[in-house]
Parts: sequence; C-alpha cells; structure tokens
Amino acid sequence: MAHDRRPIAGAPGPPMIRRTTAADERCEAAAEWVVRLAAPDLSEAEALAFDAWLAASGDNRAAYDAALAVWIEFGAEAPAVLAGLRAERGVRPRWGLRPRYAAIAAMGAAAAAAAAAVIVPALGPATVAQAYATAAGEHRSVTLADGTRIDLNAATRLTVAYRRHERDVTLAEGEAVFDVTHDLRRPFVIAAGDRAVRVVGTEFDVRRRAGQLSVSVARGAVEVVPAGEAPGEAFRLHPGQRLEHAEGAAQARIALIAPDEALSWRSGRLVYRGEPLAQVVADLNAQFRKPIRIADPALAAEPISGVLVLDDETAVVRRLALLVSAHTVPSDGGVILQRNETPPKR
Amino acid sequence: MAQGAEWGTPEIVPKPPSDPIDNAAASAPADPLVALYLARREILLRFFAGRTGSWAAAEDLAQELYLKLSERPPGPEPENPGALLYRIALNLMLDSARGSARSAAREAEWRRLNRTQLGGEEVAEQAAADEAAASRQRLRHLIAAVAELPPQMQRAFRLHKLEGLSHAQTARAMGLSVKSVEKHVSAALKALTARLQP
Repeated sequence: MAHDRRPIAGAPGPPMIRRTTAADERCEAAAEWVVRLAAPDLSEAEALAFDAWLAASGDNRAAYDAALAVWIEFGAEAPAVLAGLRAERGVRPRWGLRPRYAAIAAMGAAAAAAAAAVIVPALGPATVAQAYATAAGEHRSVTLADGTRIDLNAATRLTVAYRRHERDVTLAEGEAVFDVTHDLRRPFVIAAGDRAVRVVGTEFDVRRRAGQLSVSVARGAVEVVPAGEAPGEAFRLHPGQRLEHAEGAAQARIALIAPDEALSWRSGRLVYRGEPLAQVVADLNAQFRKPIRIADPALAAEPISGVLVLDDETAVVRRLALLVSAHTVPSDGGVILQRNETPPKR
Repeated sequence: MAQGAEWGTPEIVPKPPSDPIDNAAASAPADPLVALYLARREILLRFFAGRTGSWAAAEDLAQELYLKLSERPPGPEPENPGALLYRIALNLMLDSARGSARSAAREAEWRRLNRTQLGGEEVAEQAAADEAAASRQRLRHLIAAVAELPPQMQRAFRLHKLEGLSHAQTARAMGLSVKSVEKHVSAALKALTARLQP
C-alpha cells in the first residue's frame, strides 16, 4: 500500500516487536521523509516515492506538514534554542548512554570538571599572544593549536591568545574568515572595536575596516555583544545572517546574505549586492598597491551589484568603472574614479 | 498519478502561486511536463520545502522549475514524465547560480519567523508585547522538548538541525553511519512533532 512506503526502502525495523497504530506509523514516515529530503544524495526514485506517498492520502499530507512545520521552526529558532540548551545544562552531558543513566553521567562529568579545575591552573602555561598580519594584496591562512583555521584577507592585523577558559582573538584591522573548532568549555571570542563576537563552533567572516564592522555567518551560531560599556544590544546570528555596525553607534542592523558570497574573497572574488562604491573601493585598496580614489561623494554612495574577479588591477578597475558609468584618471601613483560627464543616451 | 483535489494550501505557505502559472493553467498547456507540474504543484512545493527547510525558498524553486519547463524546446513526449520532472527538480537544486533568489527567499522566511529583537531598521518587525511573551513561551517549549529527547537523538538533532552540520559531518562527529544519523534525527523530529503539536 502506498501509505506504507518509507524513504529508506527495505530498511529493517528495530528488532523488538512494537505495537504501532496507523497514525503513529504515518507520523514516523512523515518525519523520515522530512529528514531524508534534506539529504544531498536524495535519488530520483526516492523523490518519486515521496510524491506517491504524499499523493496517497490527505492524512499523509497532514502528517508531513506537521513534521515539516516543526522542522522549519527549529531551523529559524536554532540559535535561540541552542543558547537555551546551553543555559539549561551547565555541564556537558555524556552522550551515548541510555536516559536512565544520564543523571549519573552528568554527575560524573561534574566531578571530572571539578577535578580538572583543580589540576589545570597548576599546569596551565603562561598565555602568549601571537600576532598575525598581512600586507596589501597578501592572503594568509593560519591553523591554530586546536585545529581552528583563520584565513586572513589582505591588510589585516590580528592577535590570538589562548587562555584556560577562553580563546581570545583581537581583530585590530581588516577581515578574516574563522572556522572554529568546537570546544564548549573554551568559548572563542573575537574582540573587534566596541563589539565582541562569541562563538562555539562555526564558520564565519569578521570584517573591521574604517570604523565599520560586519560579521557574516556561514555555519553554526555566533553572538555579537557590545564590548565593555559600549551601548547597544546583543545579537545572535545564524547561517545566512550578517550584522553590520558602525563603531560608536548603539545600533546594528541585520542583513540576509548568501554565505558563500561573503566568504568568496578567499577564492579571489568579491561579490556585492547593493553595497556603496566606497566600500568596494576600500576592499580593492586592501588588495592592490595602487590606491583608488573616488572623485565625489555622490559617486562614492552609488550602490554596486556584481562580482569582481581579482586578477589584474587595471582590468578590475576598468570593469568597476563600467558598473557605475565612470572612467579613470591617473593621479600620483594611483587612479581616480570620475563620473562620466554625459550619461550615454539612446 | 492521483491528484488530490481535496487538499488546500497549508497555512504556512504565504501566498498563492504567482500570475504566470495561473494564466498558464487557464489556457491548458501543450507541454506534458508543464501540465504535470501544474497538477503537482502542491506536492512539488512540499518537496522543495522539505529539501530546503524553507517555504519561501520552496516557492522560489517551484517558480524556477516552472520557468525551466516552459522554456524547454518542444520534443518527443517523454517516456516517464514524472521521473523527468523530478530529475529536473533535483538538478535545479544543484544549480549554484541561484544565490540571489535564495537570499531573497531567506529574507522572507526570516522576516516571517524571527520574532527576536533587532536593532536599527529592523525594529519595525518587532512583535507587540503580548506576542513577544507568547513567542518566548513557545521558545521555552522548543528548548524543553529538545532537552527531553534521549541523548543520541538529542545530539544528532542538535548537531544537524541546530548547529547546521551535514548528515555526513554529524555522522563523523558521533562515530555513526550516515543512515544511523538520519534515523536518530527523524526519530527526534517525530518525538518533537508529537510533543509540540496541539
């Protein structure tokens, strides 16, 4: 019968005998379909089986819609739910035990944590901050002791200090993508001006140039909180979100982004969706030695949408000029972007 | 293929299909694939929503699929139109040139679902006080429901759904097979759905 079909064809059930109602089986199949559909290797045959299962009865559709609604809700609330779970459980549970042993395991973990707290201070090495910097046009990739990877964009300075209870990074200037190794006991904190970015395990981009901070999340969850006495609210970001903040301001705004694009500078591409020309030029000036300037403020505010492939500076500047109907004028060692006198008419 | 005449649009789907499709429906399309698409649009929407975890992205993809089908050059009648339809639908999702459409979709989804406070321009989206209290209450239920899951289920669900790891990455993190991870996650979803539905 069509409504008995399951996403995993022929998968054996649990060995024990279960008494299940039709409604219960339906809910189980619905949940399996929601999870299976998200798999990257979903086959055409499975897609057709799903179609047939869904078309078989209104009850199947209702069960699927109910499971999917919960799935989507958790997707949207993921950072808040994670934060709630962390707050609820101060101690990291031992996974893989059956529920009735969970309480004992938690006590064991607490005891272990207490023991570790006694031992570590005595053995903990003195913290040494390590500085990393890139020149204009230089990219650099750094792997830290815990496996965390930092890709530094051009003209970037940052320092790393691993402490007992915290992994601290200070971003003085520039931009970097962080792929942070999970460590629930040692949060990863990036200080960037008057904001701190707090992480558990995730991949994201932090950019601080000319008093403008932006944090773009590709994977996992990140918190951005005002540093010290700085005004403003704390934000939790999840994949696809970017926080933009002008240093000194209380406000921040959240934009929605394609994470691949935000991190694409690593492969020599800059992707813009309506950012002002001034920001594009600031990015290019970090990549190239010959400075680019913009002739007038109105032109600097012009929104740019497009992909710039970073090959040869002259070619990049020419393509950029085409995007804003401007031309370039050479000027002591660099170029100036000027708006075309008469806009092309047809 | 059975066509469910009785079903309505789920409440979460924001709006009915956009105009081009309605127009096309009015003047019975010649292409069998387009006809099939129109007959199965509700199922395809659910397919895409399951695939992407977002109704807004699903609407986008359904629209993209329609455009792709209607641009197809006329050819011989396909042997198995259903299989071809899903093959095109699956390929559509592998297509990487859909970034901008997706970010718009994400934005819509996020606007609809996000009730937390935001600074700056998004403040207008902030819910009224009683609604905010209701959403905090709901959030507590979500957290409690996950916290009550058995450990393996909870960990699989947390790593995959909440922390955004793929099935394969979750499997590596837990030392399990991908199939086992899928089983744990779907068992978790089943339990959560039962717990959170009225």
